[in-house]
Amino acid sequence: MEQTRQKTFTCQLCGLTSPYSYYGQKPPNTRAIVLLEECYVTKDPFSPDKEKFLVLGSTCSLCSMCVCVGSDCSLFYTKRFCMQCVNKHLDQFPHQIQTELAKKKERSKAAVS
Amino acid sequence: MDSDGRRDRWDWDSPHCRAQLDEVFFRKNDYIQTGSPEHREFWAFFDRFQRFKTKKDMCGSVGARGRNGDRDEERKVKGKTAKVDLGLPVEYDARYRINVSVCTRDIEERVGKSEHRSRQRSSGPGDQEISDCRLALLHFLDFNQRQSFGKLAKLRREQKNLPIFQYQDKIVELVRRHPVVVVAGDTGCGKSTQVPQYLLSAGFDYIACTQPRRIACISLAKRVSFESLNQYGSKVGFQIRFETTRTIATKLLFLTEGLLLRQIQQDRTLAQYQVVIVDEVHERHLHCDFLLGVLRTLVAERPDLRLILMSATINIKLFSHYFSSAPVLQVPGRLFPIQVIYKPIPPEEQASRSEKLDPRPYLRILQGIDQRYPPEERGDLLLFLSGVAEISTIQEACQVYATHTQRWIVLPLHSTLSLAQQDKVFDISPPGVRKCIISTNIAETSVTIDGVRFVVDSGKVKEMSFDPKAKMQRLQEFWISRASSEQRKGRAGRTGPGVCYRLYAESDYDAFAPYPVPEIHRVALDSLILQMKSMGLGDPMSFVFIDPPPAASIQTAVTYLKEQGALDSHGELTSIGTLLSQLPVDVVIGKMLVLGSLFNLVEPVLTVAAALSVQSPFLRSSQNNPDCATARQPLHSNQGDPFTLLNTFNAWVEVKGERGGGSRKWCRRRGLEEQRLYEMVNLRRQFRDLLKSHSLLESEKNAASDGDRGQRRMRLTERKKLHQLKRDHEQQEGSKRKVLKLEEGHDGDMSSGSDTEETSRRKKDKDGPGQNMDIQEVKFKLRHNISELQEAVTVSQDMSSRHQALLKLLLCRGLYPQLAVPDEHNTNRKDSDQVFHTKNKQGVVIHPTSVFASDPEVLLVPDDGVSELGSDRRDSSKHQLLAFVTLLETNKPYLSNCVRVPALQALLLVANSMDSNADCARLVMDGWLEVELRQPEEASKLLSTALSLRGEWERLLLAQLGQSTEMRSAAQGVSRKTMEKLSDRLVRFLLYTEVSYSLRRLTAFQTQNLYIGPQPESELFQGKPPDLNSLFPGAEVKPHPIKGGLRVTSFFTYNCLADSKDLYSECLRTFWSCPNCDLYMPLTPLERMQHEASCRPAGEQQQTGEEPAEGKPGPSSVSSLSRVYHCDVCNKDLTLTSTEILKHKRQHK
Repeated sequence: MEQTRQKTFTCQLCGLTSPYSYYGQKPPNTRAIVLLEECYVTKDPFSPDKEKFLVLGSTCSLCSMCVCVGSDCSLFYTKRFCMQCVNKHLDQFPHQIQTELAKKKERSKAAVS
Repeated sequence: MDSDGRRDRWDWDSPHCRAQLDEVFFRKNDYIQTGSPEHREFWAFFDRFQRFKTKKDMCGSVGARGRNGDRDEERKVKGKTAKVDLGLPVEYDARYRINVSVCTRDIEERVGKSEHRSRQRSSGPGDQEISDCRLALLHFLDFNQRQSFGKLAKLRREQKNLPIFQYQDKIVELVRRHPVVVVAGDTGCGKSTQVPQYLLSAGFDYIACTQPRRIACISLAKRVSFESLNQYGSKVGFQIRFETTRTIATKLLFLTEGLLLRQIQQDRTLAQYQVVIVDEVHERHLHCDFLLGVLRTLVAERPDLRLILMSATINIKLFSHYFSSAPVLQVPGRLFPIQVIYKPIPPEEQASRSEKLDPRPYLRILQGIDQRYPPEERGDLLLFLSGVAEISTIQEACQVYATHTQRWIVLPLHSTLSLAQQDKVFDISPPGVRKCIISTNIAETSVTIDGVRFVVDSGKVKEMSFDPKAKMQRLQEFWISRASSEQRKGRAGRTGPGVCYRLYAESDYDAFAPYPVPEIHRVALDSLILQMKSMGLGDPMSFVFIDPPPAASIQTAVTYLKEQGALDSHGELTSIGTLLSQLPVDVVIGKMLVLGSLFNLVEPVLTVAAALSVQSPFLRSSQNNPDCATARQPLHSNQGDPFTLLNTFNAWVEVKGERGGGSRKWCRRRGLEEQRLYEMVNLRRQFRDLLKSHSLLESEKNAASDGDRGQRRMRLTERKKLHQLKRDHEQQEGSKRKVLKLEEGHDGDMSSGSDTEETSRRKKDKDGPGQNMDIQEVKFKLRHNISELQEAVTVSQDMSSRHQALLKLLLCRGLYPQLAVPDEHNTNRKDSDQVFHTKNKQGVVIHPTSVFASDPEVLLVPDDGVSELGSDRRDSSKHQLLAFVTLLETNKPYLSNCVRVPALQALLLVANSMDSNADCARLVMDGWLEVELRQPEEASKLLSTALSLRGEWERLLLAQLGQSTEMRSAAQGVSRKTMEKLSDRLVRFLLYTEVSYSLRRLTAFQTQNLYIGPQPESELFQGKPPDLNSLFPGAEVKPHPIKGGLRVTSFFTYNCLADSKDLYSECLRTFWSCPNCDLYMPLTPLERMQHEASCRPAGEQQQTGEEPAEGKPGPSSVSSLSRVYHCDVCNKDLTLTSTEILKHKRQHK
């Protein structure tokens, strides 16, 4: 019964879970594509093509927390950073990213209120 | 210089230039390949990306200075606070946000093979172009990743927000610990989609989840497979009657309740499943109640089996108690608040039974909504009425109002509408306009429409009930139950807060029954009992149902099954019963199939059986359309509705063969719902397979291997193409809903059917021929071999009158005892007032959809054939009966799907009980139809022919069935020749019996005093020793214990009718010569018949083909019929046939 259970990826920030089929930088059947970080990868369930992959998440390059690629949880800028680390070191990120994050914060605030 | 020149020539829009880049980035083995959909998407993306870049570049030159300034600032800040240097690049580049890189040809070349490089350099894209393209590709890949991940995140969010989500662990734990668990949750809690997934991810394998409706099986399998990201791939599937996606890998299967029951029939312990989920148990369908009963015993036998019942929060205790207090997990539903407004209909607006519904209360609500809610606040209205007639009344009135206000689109919804019309309720109304959907209770559970804000509940429902006494279904109007009332109300709160108007008082509501009457209490139980018998569940009376059906109902079914020959007198399955229990159709239809397999009539019988098992393809709404009526005319057969259906199906198959997808138009012109024809062709195929698997049908020579390799390859390529079309369709399915037009409501109008045709034609022209792919046609082609089908159809087309007569007989025997006799005064009545009688129900009429409703003359006894004898006796050789499929009472009792048969011949061949007087000129069939023949001579001749035909028919049928139950022996059970001979004789009997007789339905008084009753033997036979057994070889002839007279066969009792005319006629002998042997002597009618039974025509004697034994060889001596007879007078043992015994005895007188 247990043997058929799949490896599951869980985002430590938002709790999103999904089974993954590959962890690493070179997902199978992707030919010329190389990932720039070690990722949790699954087959893209929304593509009719069986060989398309989907990156679910990876580990934060600073704190090694396992995070999903959702913009609320992490950010990739040459490396993967979880949102907690991004906020901690916001000043080191280029202003384009800073303004973008500030805007997003405002928007989500507006949505809540 | 050189590079400049090349750049001039470079044109991003040129297909040639793009093709050159394709060779770099999208090669045959690349992640994206030239020609794939992604490849097209990329270039579309590329254009957008370039435009975006140009725009940004233009603004960028202004902002460049500011950017530099920022960077300086950034550095300063960094120096002050940061302890950790993240090592981020100084200059921002969107490229750094992408976590993918691509190795393409240019990189490969740069790494190694330089010989290509120089060649490519001379012409083709330069470094700049390649890097532009690469950047766009990276962004494209990133964009796709974001999109897909966004979908995934949304999906997970939705799953998490379902009320049932927080119970996930609890559910899994309960199922682990208890054999049976009840999960109760209201609409929208997510139980149907989530519970199976929770169990799958907890490691349970082989889960079956039953649904009351086929459509739910398909949509749930699709949804669950999607939600679980297809991670289980083919592991989530569905199985319904004609379609399955099940494979060996399937771990979660959605299937119908009926199908699971069929599986239990094959695999009693359901070893193939570890978990069984029964969903929607509160709906209390017949199959569901039965399934629960079967599973209840199974749970005790299989402790490893897990059973989960899922229900709305209705009557939960009932289910829990039934399974020895199984634990219940109650999950809150997710409904928005709904305001309930009681608006009882004032007495002056209440319609009496015969009147049409008064639309005023309904119109007031529409008006009220228009006054109270601004049109820009969206929200549709769903109105529940009891039936189709009510819907069209209210629809008409609402349409007038809608046309006037331009604020409503009125749409009817009920199951007799075409699927296209039903589908309209899902389309979107234009802004400022609301849909007003007027529906039967179909929208209560089966059809879920989003966007409904207002519900109007009439509180009424029309429900089928079964009258076991009249053996009749009845469609009656009832108040709904409180549970239904709540369900209807809930339909207003699915997408937002809503309002429910109840057209009854709150006190009425309180007086409603708490729950609807379960189906098992309302319907005929024939099929259920048959299935129980075949599953070896013992006495149906003692089976522990969750809510046992009335004993009378079970008894009626058992009696009926005995009448049908499916059960023997001890209530055990007969061989035909065993077979019938495996056919997923009504007993009568199943019988037809079995009978048809015997004669060379398999093809038409398959079609008719299939046609009678699905809804009629003839749309009611098109009936009044003169164009449709004219186009339908050539399909009509005045032999009966089954023949019309047969013609229709055959014509359709022909059109399909010639024009393929053009059949859609052909159907529309005739007011036919093509979907029904597709169902028929599928069902027909299933019947054929079933007959084959029971060896009732020779498997034809393997048709697939016929034809040369080329043909096979062609068929293979075509199948591939069709599969692709099917997949394409599945992907775009449900993507977009149409926006309705204001005038849309008009075409549902019943009175102006021609509008429908007009609008649909217009619509069709709008769609291009290419986009207008007919998925049904694709599926049809995948499933059926059209040329095979055409061949089969040709067999049943241009049927000779002989075949037609035989087919009618088969249908009649199948449908028996569902027979009706025309009223004797029909000749004097108007066409529309023709009255018929069945055994148990007087005064029934023909349903307006039947061919006999429009053409009743064919049922009348022609005047020239009538000879008036006295006051009310009409003698003719042309009396007819109707065999019918359904007797349904709505406002009147209606017969539908009728076929006409010659009365006397049919009765003689199918009746279960035939009683005669002494000279056999008076016969009573099944205790309700009296036949009087003028010539006793003819009467006994007919009777004996019928007896011999029936005997032979029965023998062949049993041989055929016996052969199917045993292993197929080399010798065919029934030789073709024997079969042909019998069918020949039957046809002759049916067509060429020209005997004048009267046909009368007995009055109640007459039936009471029908029989002479048991008589002392001495009196009956006047002192003659009743050596009766010797008179009827093979048959055990003895006095009938109740009726009196002599029981000659199981269905024929001689001289039991209280026939005051002459009590002694049985002893009267008249001279008679046997046509088959040279016998000529005075015989009583009984003796004569008995002689005929033993004296076969010379041709047939060889058929029985046994060695003639010793004894007197003579024309009438057939060894098998001879027996040892001890003559007391000569005191000798003689081997004689019964006729010879008779002759011998006479010598001594």
